[in-house]
Amino acid sequence: GHYCLDINVLIIVFTEMRDKLRKWREDNHRNSEQIVDVGEELINEHASKLGDDIWIIYEQVMIAALDCSRDDLAWTCLQELKKQFPGSQRVKRLAGMRLEALEKYEDASKQYDSILQDDPTNTAARKRKISILKAQGKSAEAIRELNEYLEQFVGDQEAWHELSELYINEHDYGKAAFCLEELMMTNPHNHLYCEQYAEVKYTQGGLENLELSRKYFAQALKLNNGNMRALFGLYMSASHIAASPKVNATVKKANVKYAAWATNQINRAYQVTKTNQLPVEELLLRSS
Amino acid sequence: MGEVELSCLAYVKMYLHACLFPRCSVNGLLLSSSPAGGAVCVTDCVPLLHTHLPLAPITQLALTQVDVWCAQTQQRIVGYYQANACVSDSSPTPCALKIADKIAEQCNNAVLLMIDGGKMSPDYRVPPIVMYERKDTRWTLKDKHTIMLRQWEETRDIASQLLDSGDHSLLVDFDSHLDDITRDWTNQKLNAKIAELASPANASSIALPPGGGTVSIVTFTWSSSTARGRQQNINSLSINHILLENSPEWRNNG
Repeated sequence: GHYCLDINVLIIVFTEMRDKLRKWREDNHRNSEQIVDVGEELINEHASKLGDDIWIIYEQVMIAALDCSRDDLAWTCLQELKKQFPGSQRVKRLAGMRLEALEKYEDASKQYDSILQDDPTNTAARKRKISILKAQGKSAEAIRELNEYLEQFVGDQEAWHELSELYINEHDYGKAAFCLEELMMTNPHNHLYCEQYAEVKYTQGGLENLELSRKYFAQALKLNNGNMRALFGLYMSASHIAASPKVNATVKKANVKYAAWATNQINRAYQVTKTNQLPVEELLLRSS
Repeated sequence: MGEVELSCLAYVKMYLHACLFPRCSVNGLLLSSSPAGGAVCVTDCVPLLHTHLPLAPITQLALTQVDVWCAQTQQRIVGYYQANACVSDSSPTPCALKIADKIAEQCNNAVLLMIDGGKMSPDYRVPPIVMYERKDTRWTLKDKHTIMLRQWEETRDIASQLLDSGDHSLLVDFDSHLDDITRDWTNQKLNAKIAELASPANASSIALPPGGGTVSIVTFTWSSSTARGRQQNINSLSINHILLENSPEWRNNG
């Protein structure tokens, strides 16, 4: 009857919420506001139904809560985890993250140091220490520590990417390119790394770098023909090369063709959407 | 040493841009629909990036596209804004200076505006912005008395309202446009919402070139109070995840 229907709806809502949280965990989404919304309700209303999932949810919600200045919620989650896993390094690291969020960087650092004393290979603690340097604006130190970290943990993709971002912010494009080269080697099908590499090369400037950038924009497009940055990048790099007085006629001709192809693709893409449609020919080649 | 007026529309969108990407540095262009000469009236802005601000290709692309759009809509690029991810430092970065220099080549009283993330708490009483102008070849701090924001309280309230209602997610920057080109970086929808929220008395300062409307100019002098206590941004504290590792399932020994 009517009562039965309500229960079913509740169950559906509950499973939807739980599945959403799982998906966000798996995709490593930083949609913290949403996680707090869904997670807080799940914890408050449906804790008993979650079984062992509850611990990983507490962790996920805690981190999201820190991201949203919800120390009250973060504290609650932390207490539950401390009760269940006393002495756990993983919980200790979460406590450290909370200290970071409260900008108590020295205390946080000490927390991570104590983890590392017990377990010198604890990568999470090391990364948190580097995050602290970043939060404090100590880029040079963060870069140095991250380089040291990568000497030991050379396969850590995310660390390489983080390092490339740090280098870009310091305008050290050569080193950023090196990091992206590592990433492209180990992730040859990832169009984003190709495209970012191309952007860095373009930024470095000079004919050789421009040609490299064009190649990698093209590669990114091969891997994902919907990558608009790569498409525009191809147009821009090819146009610049074609306009350079240093290239011979063959190279010029080839790049004019690439640019024309890109123009065509761009126009086609915008035909469909009709928003922000501007004549591509007017793009670029204003002196940059 | 000229006067600069910042419209409600420009301020609100710029502010919402910073709120929409709280963990990123963001930047954008300041536009004017008034003719050159005299005071600089910033009547609109175009939010540009929230990733890889120092990289050239997308910045160049965006500058060119906005330039073309401005020519079509009788506007000019008169300045540049940026909010740094690291809230403890709101000084212009090399890339900010570079882009501002470029703009100054075409517009000799261009302004460089930095949003001070540390002063963006919900109960802020002064606009969290710092403005620079070009003197000789250097960007120097502008005299606060030459910066004007009409109806500041109303502007601030409009920004808060849009944040509360979640409408700030309507804002499209150039980066977002490239992720999905059906999204409009001129933000017509959001502009309409902002105009809606503004009082009739303020409407003329939003939609139209100056010279129309009789809104009185309120010169706003910043107070020198700095944020006390814990810095609460609209968004969050500066917890910099470098990476959220894929968390293995919990076991009894954690």
